[in-house]
Amino acid sequence: MKMKSIRVLTWLAAMGLALVGMTSTAIAADKSMADVKIVLQISDPNPFKQTLVLNVANNIVKHYGQDLVDVEIVAFGPGLRLLFAENANKGRIKGLTGKGVRFAACANTVKGMNKVLGHDPVLNSNATVVDAGVVRIIDLVKQGYILVKP
Amino acid sequence: MKMFKKVALVAACSAMLGGVTMQAQAANWLMLQGTEAPDTAVRAKLWGFIQAQYQKDNSDANGAGGYVPPKLIGPNLDSQEAFNVNRARIGVRGTGLPLDNKVNYFLLAELGNNGITSGSDGKILTDASITLNHIKGARVRLGLFKTPGFEEGLQAIHVFDYINFTSVGNQLMLERHPSASDAFDAPDPTPNASMNAYAKSVGAFRDVGVQIFDTFKSNDWEHSYAVMYGNGNGLNYSDNDDNKDTYFYWSSEKVYGGKGPRREGLKMFAWTQDGKRTNVFNTSQEFDRTRSGVGVKYLKKPFRVSAEYLTGEGMIFQGQHRPDNTHGPYNNEEADGYYVDFGYYIPGSNWELDIRYDSYTRGESHGTSAANDESRYDTTTVGAQYHFNKKTRVNMEYSARDFESDTPNVQAQLVGVDSRYAIQVTHIF
Repeated sequence: MKMKSIRVLTWLAAMGLALVGMTSTAIAADKSMADVKIVLQISDPNPFKQTLVLNVANNIVKHYGQDLVDVEIVAFGPGLRLLFAENANKGRIKGLTGKGVRFAACANTVKGMNKVLGHDPVLNSNATVVDAGVVRIIDLVKQGYILVKP
Repeated sequence: MKMFKKVALVAACSAMLGGVTMQAQAANWLMLQGTEAPDTAVRAKLWGFIQAQYQKDNSDANGAGGYVPPKLIGPNLDSQEAFNVNRARIGVRGTGLPLDNKVNYFLLAELGNNGITSGSDGKILTDASITLNHIKGARVRLGLFKTPGFEEGLQAIHVFDYINFTSVGNQLMLERHPSASDAFDAPDPTPNASMNAYAKSVGAFRDVGVQIFDTFKSNDWEHSYAVMYGNGNGLNYSDNDDNKDTYFYWSSEKVYGGKGPRREGLKMFAWTQDGKRTNVFNTSQEFDRTRSGVGVKYLKKPFRVSAEYLTGEGMIFQGQHRPDNTHGPYNNEEADGYYVDFGYYIPGSNWELDIRYDSYTRGESHGTSAANDESRYDTTTVGAQYHFNKKTRVNMEYSARDFESDTPNVQAQLVGVDSRYAIQVTHIF
């Protein structure tokens, strides 16, 4: 009985930590104290845009400094391919994540792609799924982010 | 407002950088030609290239005033001086369903004037393949494509550092596919020597079949393999006999950096091909055709060094003008050859200097040949390339040739082979 209680408490603690982890991402964006806040949109099927949006993010971080800039890349529509797990740019995405750049993947697009593929596309582990990519952009712009669509 | 300007400036700089990085492509030749970068391929990427050239051959005629192919400008082999649109290729590649990176295709057509098209009304598909990437470590490529083999043939021709192939590449590896109706001419005088007698395309280092291949990375090293089973009938879609060719290829490369066709690294490779051919002039006859090679390629700017040794047995090409044996233009002897190539990229400039020595020795089985007779083809080529930009360059080369044969009738034709000049502009789009 005692053992069962410990297990339940452990499970609840783990859930609590997970929830804290999930909300911390949102808080980081909502209460960013960075001088410059940028949201980059990728919704284009052209793969050149994938390279471009990553270059832009990298250059922004490099220009302003990692601690003074807040960059989030929001991918939706055909642009969501950037955040597929096997994407050729996955190494660069990992590198940018290490520099504080966030990646948001549109859940609506995932659902749409499920109808074509018969399953959800496997996404990059550095991506956070948001309900709707465009709504995410609107919310960030309301919070003072500058929208750039390279 | 100031913030917007800064962001716009950074974005504009990134756009320019983006243009540069998109020049780079995938990995080695197997991967570069047979796969697409995951989740970045488009449904249909249109691409191609044009090569326009001028060549002049300084060889002298034989005693009767006739010329053999090494003394004439191909593919028409009519004269010793010619402008030519050597290659004009256009194609599409990508993935039919961009959401699924497991399937890709490669389609390329040749509209230029060369050994591929001289026997095909001036237009032919050189590549039409589908790659299935579902099994890790065993990608499957099906259709018409370059066979895994010697570097000169496997590499993308639009980044080839020379204009003309080596003798060992041209004679031992570039397979001719004569038809029973082809008539062989004795060497004729120019300007209408008409020594190109073939109705069908050359093999173009390609075959129709299925290939299992992949590349494995280990730190800085990249190991690749390919196993192919094909018709052994060149660009022809179907087979002319029941014999099939098998191809094996392995390469290990220490990658120094970069991507695409001019990636820097030290690559070592080995390959072998084996098959049988039916003599189209006597379909009751079959001959073995075996080819093997080992080579190395080093590229780290400003230096490039490559070398390869090739050997073959059976179906040894003797030239378009050789009707006097039971094999058509082939004999059943052995042959071998090699090439050594050095390149130097002049730092801070768009110039590249090249020098190549190639040697080819083939056994002779001519009507007048003695036992163990051989013919030897040695060529030293010096060249220069000027890169107008990443997509456009001009090649200039001069070849000094020393061809000779133990067989008197062959030697009588090779006497007088002299130097050759060539200039070629390549534009890739």
